[in-house]
Amino acid sequence: MSASTAPFKTRYRRSVSDPDLRPRLLEFQRSWRESRDAQVRRLEQRRERSFDELRHDFAAVKDATLERLDDYLAEFRANAEAAGATVVELRTAADAVQYIAAVCKSRGIDLVVKSKSMVSEEIELNHELEQRNITAIETDLGEWLLQLAEERPSHLVMPAIHQKRQYVAEILGKELGEDFDPDDIPAMVASARGGLRRHYLAAGAGLTGANALIAESGSIMVVTNEGNMRLATSLPDVHFITAGIEKLIPTWADAERQLQLLPRSATAQTLSTYTTCITGAQPGKEMHIILLDNGRRAMRDHDVIGDALRCIRCGACANVCPPYQIVGGHTFGHIYTGAIGLVNTTFHHSLADAAGPQGLCVSCGACETVCPVAIPLPKQILEVRKRAHESGHAPIWERAALRLWARPRLLNSLFGIGAWASALARAIGLVRRDHLRLPLPKRLRWRSIPTLPLRSGQTLVRSRAPQSVIAPAPASGQTVDLFAQCLADRLMPSVVDSSARLIEAGGAAVNLPQDQHCCGLPAFDAGDWQTARRMARQTIEALESGDHQIVTPAPSCVIAMREHWPQLFADEPKWRERTAAVSGRVHDLAAWLDGDGRLPDDSLSGGERESWSAHRFCQASNRGDAGARIDLLVQRLTGESALPIEEPEVCCGFGGLTSMAAPEVGEGILDRKLDCVAQSGCETLLTNNPGCAIHLRAGAAARESRHDTLHYADFLAARLPKSRTP
Amino acid sequence: MATTDQISQFADALAAAQGEFVELATWGEVWEFGASLSDYEPVVSPSAYAQLQRGILPDSNDPLRSIADRAVGITVATLAVAETGSVLLVEPAPIDRAVSLLTRHLIVAVRGADLVDNLADGFRWLARQPRAAAYATFVTGPSRTADIERSLTIGVQGPSRLSVAVIA
Repeated sequence: MSASTAPFKTRYRRSVSDPDLRPRLLEFQRSWRESRDAQVRRLEQRRERSFDELRHDFAAVKDATLERLDDYLAEFRANAEAAGATVVELRTAADAVQYIAAVCKSRGIDLVVKSKSMVSEEIELNHELEQRNITAIETDLGEWLLQLAEERPSHLVMPAIHQKRQYVAEILGKELGEDFDPDDIPAMVASARGGLRRHYLAAGAGLTGANALIAESGSIMVVTNEGNMRLATSLPDVHFITAGIEKLIPTWADAERQLQLLPRSATAQTLSTYTTCITGAQPGKEMHIILLDNGRRAMRDHDVIGDALRCIRCGACANVCPPYQIVGGHTFGHIYTGAIGLVNTTFHHSLADAAGPQGLCVSCGACETVCPVAIPLPKQILEVRKRAHESGHAPIWERAALRLWARPRLLNSLFGIGAWASALARAIGLVRRDHLRLPLPKRLRWRSIPTLPLRSGQTLVRSRAPQSVIAPAPASGQTVDLFAQCLADRLMPSVVDSSARLIEAGGAAVNLPQDQHCCGLPAFDAGDWQTARRMARQTIEALESGDHQIVTPAPSCVIAMREHWPQLFADEPKWRERTAAVSGRVHDLAAWLDGDGRLPDDSLSGGERESWSAHRFCQASNRGDAGARIDLLVQRLTGESALPIEEPEVCCGFGGLTSMAAPEVGEGILDRKLDCVAQSGCETLLTNNPGCAIHLRAGAAARESRHDTLHYADFLAARLPKSRTP
Repeated sequence: MATTDQISQFADALAAAQGEFVELATWGEVWEFGASLSDYEPVVSPSAYAQLQRGILPDSNDPLRSIADRAVGITVATLAVAETGSVLLVEPAPIDRAVSLLTRHLIVAVRGADLVDNLADGFRWLARQPRAAAYATFVTGPSRTADIERSLTIGVQGPSRLSVAVIA
């Protein structure tokens, strides 16, 4: 069994035990990001339109085409056939294989040269043809290397990115009967050129994919860098094209719109080396255009996932994906890799094939920010997760943990026991930097276990006198409901107290609604919508009475209440209405301190000066939420500037349950983050989501980093005048 | 006629794609340049032969095999795109394509009058020319790959050197 067809757990273990994969993919992601951003900036300048406008323009073209798919298919077919091509629309992978094999058999063709085609990967064409005694040779260098190694692509555009040059030297050496110096890549490429050339000359057919099918002329457009596609379509007498029906676009002008986005997003090139347009069969030759459905119409008709059909296969979603950097595409995906693979595998292959890697996604939302056709990938992944959960693909421990989390009373008893145990551990010297010094299994050693406090955040607030007012904010005199957030309340109680004091410092009174617990986000994230609904209902009941504004130190809960609750209760109009009564009043603390609870500039400038940097909660930052840039808020209130930090909005690796389900992924992403923190030289790292703060602090304790990790509320509240003691 | 700005934009974009801009003013100079690069006579596409009236044409019976890996080839582009440094090769028949596919150093000549601002102009032209669209390629720089450890290697399957001249 090859590296990419083994069961998910095997693939996962293989990829996390490859020491070269992470650094290679990290270097790739960073250099891609830099070149791609420069390309996008230039494009925006030239077109005088933002990337967001440009991608929505083209997404609108794709949407309109998909809506009238049958009309455009008919137009394409008529034009292509008038130009001498044969066009077939086929429903399944098996149909496509059958068709190609039958044409080959009837023409006596036993060798097919292939230019890169993801659809041919999708239908596992090479393997299927081999069963029928037809040899298919990949001619894209990367694809050929994979074929020689009996592997699948691990990236949509850089298919062999996981292979080391030493390995390439070995497999190429074996194939070509030469000895290669692994450091002499040009020599390997030159020999590969000769090795491939003989196949073009011997082949009876060439097979290519298509980046676009242009309806108004019946043309195909293919983008390559090597030039193999032109060879494969020029030497043999038969040309097969395998393409998904979603590759249709109406006009030549649309093809150019696609090209503005595709190479820039794929390889960060202005334009790939060869953009080839072919219309119809050349004199004396045959052209067979195979338009494949294989789940695409069902996908189009799905209300959440339909937009994924806009995909132009650039691979950008993988290039910014933190977990992809840790495990690579053989683990993060099936045949289609990256975020898009987590979504479309369900339709082109199966839910079982899509289920394994679902838990690796940290829901950071980076993929959506770079997608050139604005596919709402994070939302779609959550939809697939829900289906995977409903079909019983979630691990038992995860189900049990979520059910436990939905029972606050039992949870409180357990945390109470944990708090006493922590106090005991502290007494006998097992605690360091507020974390337990316990021998952990090796794969968990990167994160220490935090001690549990004896008093919850809500208890801290209730047991002290109000904070004195430093300057009346617009909401001065009002009462504000504080939603403590389940994690902060139990694991970082000072955050709850600090939040309350910052609200009070603006002249508002803080009320802690009874029976508040968890918004349901952890369960929603894991695809367990049933448990999520139960927790959401608890929270709605706790918060819905009255008309106070509601403030929370957790931006993730604000997103959950505003966006996920309406999804959870889509079929329950009464509850949906009740969600609106709460989510319409809820504010992230950072936004509050700039809005109704605004504290004046430099009002917290006193206190010990220390150097600080900020990690912006990735999800809020990637959505462009106003409160996400906590560095600006802290700067405004303290008058102290943040130390610059690399990748401030790249995920820290907490990702809800990901860091527990896939500890190596949590560790790898956290390492990337903590390296950036160390490089910044800051003494204090500030962040804005309690989950991230707990994760970052536990990781820093395990690594014995010199910096301290704080929720910004604690950092700011430490500069408030002291509360009077009761 | 192309403006100086257009030409310098084209030259810069071509260089960014690892192609080289050569300052040659006439068909004669294009031939001299090609002939100076190798001891063998350049192979020429039918469109280039029409202008140059010299050079080796691919064998019409087996055009591709007849010139595989010849050192220097010359062809003519139908238009060039200033913004991207691309040349548009319209090559409906295999004999048209042989030179641009298989020679190691490809020289492309394009008339200054055929230089357009951007790719959208190029596609507008193509949309009006159904015959050209039979087999048309925007070529932007020499053949390249980065498939082995992302190491950029020029000249994998097509030409490893691409020179473009904008002539009068």
